[in-house]
Amino acid sequence: MTQADPEQSISKVAADTAVVAHEWQQVPGVPTQPASESILRKRFRKFRRIRRGYWSFLLILGLYLASFLCPYLMNGTAWLVRYEGQFYLPTFTYYQASTFGQELFGEPDYRALKEQFEKENAGNWVLMPLYPYGPNEALLDLPGSPPHAPSWEHPLGTDDRGRDILVRLAYGFNISLTFALLVLLIADGTGVMIGAALGFFGGKLDLLGQRFIEIWSSLPFLYTIIIISSVVVPVYIPGRMQVLQPSFWLLIVILAAFEWMAITYYIRGEFYREKSRDYVAAAIVTGVSQPAIMFRHILPNSMTPLISFAPFTIVANIGALVALDFLGFGLPAPTPSWGELIGQGMENLTKWWLVFFPLGALFSTLLLVVFIGEAVREAFDPKEYSRLR
Amino acid sequence: MTAPDVILEVQDLHVRFPIYGGIIPRKKSEVRAVDGVSLTLHRGKTIGLVGESGCGKTTVGRAIVNILRAMNYRVDIEGKVLYHHADGVVDLLSLGQRQMRKYRSDLQMVFQDPYSSLNPRMTVGAIIEEPLRIHTKQSKAERKERVRWLLEKVRLSPAHAARYPHEFSGGQRQRIGIARALATNPKIVIADEPVSALDVSIQAQVINLMQDLQEEFGLSYIFVSHDLSVVRHISDYICVMSRGKIVEAGPADDVYSRPQHEYTQTLLAAVPRPDPDRRIKRRA
Repeated sequence: MTQADPEQSISKVAADTAVVAHEWQQVPGVPTQPASESILRKRFRKFRRIRRGYWSFLLILGLYLASFLCPYLMNGTAWLVRYEGQFYLPTFTYYQASTFGQELFGEPDYRALKEQFEKENAGNWVLMPLYPYGPNEALLDLPGSPPHAPSWEHPLGTDDRGRDILVRLAYGFNISLTFALLVLLIADGTGVMIGAALGFFGGKLDLLGQRFIEIWSSLPFLYTIIIISSVVVPVYIPGRMQVLQPSFWLLIVILAAFEWMAITYYIRGEFYREKSRDYVAAAIVTGVSQPAIMFRHILPNSMTPLISFAPFTIVANIGALVALDFLGFGLPAPTPSWGELIGQGMENLTKWWLVFFPLGALFSTLLLVVFIGEAVREAFDPKEYSRLR
Repeated sequence: MTAPDVILEVQDLHVRFPIYGGIIPRKKSEVRAVDGVSLTLHRGKTIGLVGESGCGKTTVGRAIVNILRAMNYRVDIEGKVLYHHADGVVDLLSLGQRQMRKYRSDLQMVFQDPYSSLNPRMTVGAIIEEPLRIHTKQSKAERKERVRWLLEKVRLSPAHAARYPHEFSGGQRQRIGIARALATNPKIVIADEPVSALDVSIQAQVINLMQDLQEEFGLSYIFVSHDLSVVRHISDYICVMSRGKIVEAGPADDVYSRPQHEYTQTLLAAVPRPDPDRRIKRRA
């Protein structure tokens, strides 16, 4: 980029002599400029270059998406049943055991049904999921007494009620991450709203808001949650998914209610700083409305703390849920949760698989998320050269 | 009454920033940023507002476009900013942000720092388009066309609309700022030190561009600067400010060649000159 000859005096310079950047692109031999890129996209590209973090991200994302298929991949309920010339889809519809001629009350035992059909060889068959055990199924017909040690059938063993640990870990992974993400979403949403208002409007609102946050954040989180959990009895709504149990949402709300302050302070600071910059003045002069200034102009410039703290907040949320489940104040009883499994491990220290696998799953998940966080922080670091590349 | 070609009148403008302190915060003292300033801007003319840094000239500019209250919640403003539009006269300072909106398209501002005055997350096209989206009912295609036209007017390439501000030099960014200010066909442009962040050669480009645009669109400028030589070049009328007051005002050449006030003389003597002999004479 060159400009007009600096030696010419002000009055003589015709502005036409300005050479604009695009003309350089037509000069032969000068490479054309790369296409325009927003700062966010640039940072994402930087993030992708940090391989450890990026692969951790892909792995966690893949596992998380796959874990939504758990009811179809890991379940004691058959995918498809062929019985007396008719097809049944037990994954989507509930059938009585008597439908298939089983002498049981309630849900049929599909694994037994499969064996029975194979023995009879009468044209009936059962298609089971890849891993044919459900998360809440007590496998009491296994030899010995629960917890059962790992075997080919159950590679991670069973817990003290005879439930398959692999299945419970897989379902628990989905619940843990869903929980952590929802808490993050609610806490950050609240934090951004309040932080933006405090930083943008300032004055008495800011003063009062800050004092309120100081008081609120001095409440002991664990005691509060224990008191609330012990007072509120979980209501089980029959026929609903476990995720929709009120206690799950209650936990999310309580956790979010104690977590929004951290991000609020950062967003407040960001808004405070950004508001004094000229582009905000320009937006006011242009006549942009206040909400649009806050959320279209300032917020995109204040996203850095939000994004770079998010992975670490997720780690904290997973940890918090595990801790609450471990103490017995978390999700209601049959829910597959990591904290509950770790609690079992503590009660049965000699059963190594009950200690090792849940803790291992927790550790590796948290480690992967921390890798992501590290890479995100690195990618959002305005300094050009750094350690992780 | 005022002459028919008057477009903007500032009458006895006072701007004070109170200073709070103490355990129980209360007003302790105040900074008088602007202390009784009056100006009259005629259609198609330029007023140069000069003074040292901190003398309140930027605050005058910001008071005229009425953004002080929106930027800073603690400010006392007195006086009147009378805008003479087609249907009459309105005191801009008495308007809230919502009522102010319909006059926003007539009064625009070019900012001092081309690096912070453009939102780094928006493309140049989006930046220039924003005033159009707010003040006109143009379709998307019409707005795109207008952005292209504006970019050409400020001698940038229409292809630049897809770029982000960080890809431009200071002079180019300032021209983007000018394009944004011109988007809605304003009548008055407040230029708040539009060239002081640029180096001398680019200053000339930007100033010549502003003059060309003034001729083409009949703009009226209030040109704020601390640089007397720049102001003299563009202004019809110069107001010299010191400590929140206008100490000298008059036609540009008069103020420049026959400075009356002591402060103006000091200010003029401070202008760097390529001829060392003359400078020594001035000092003596």
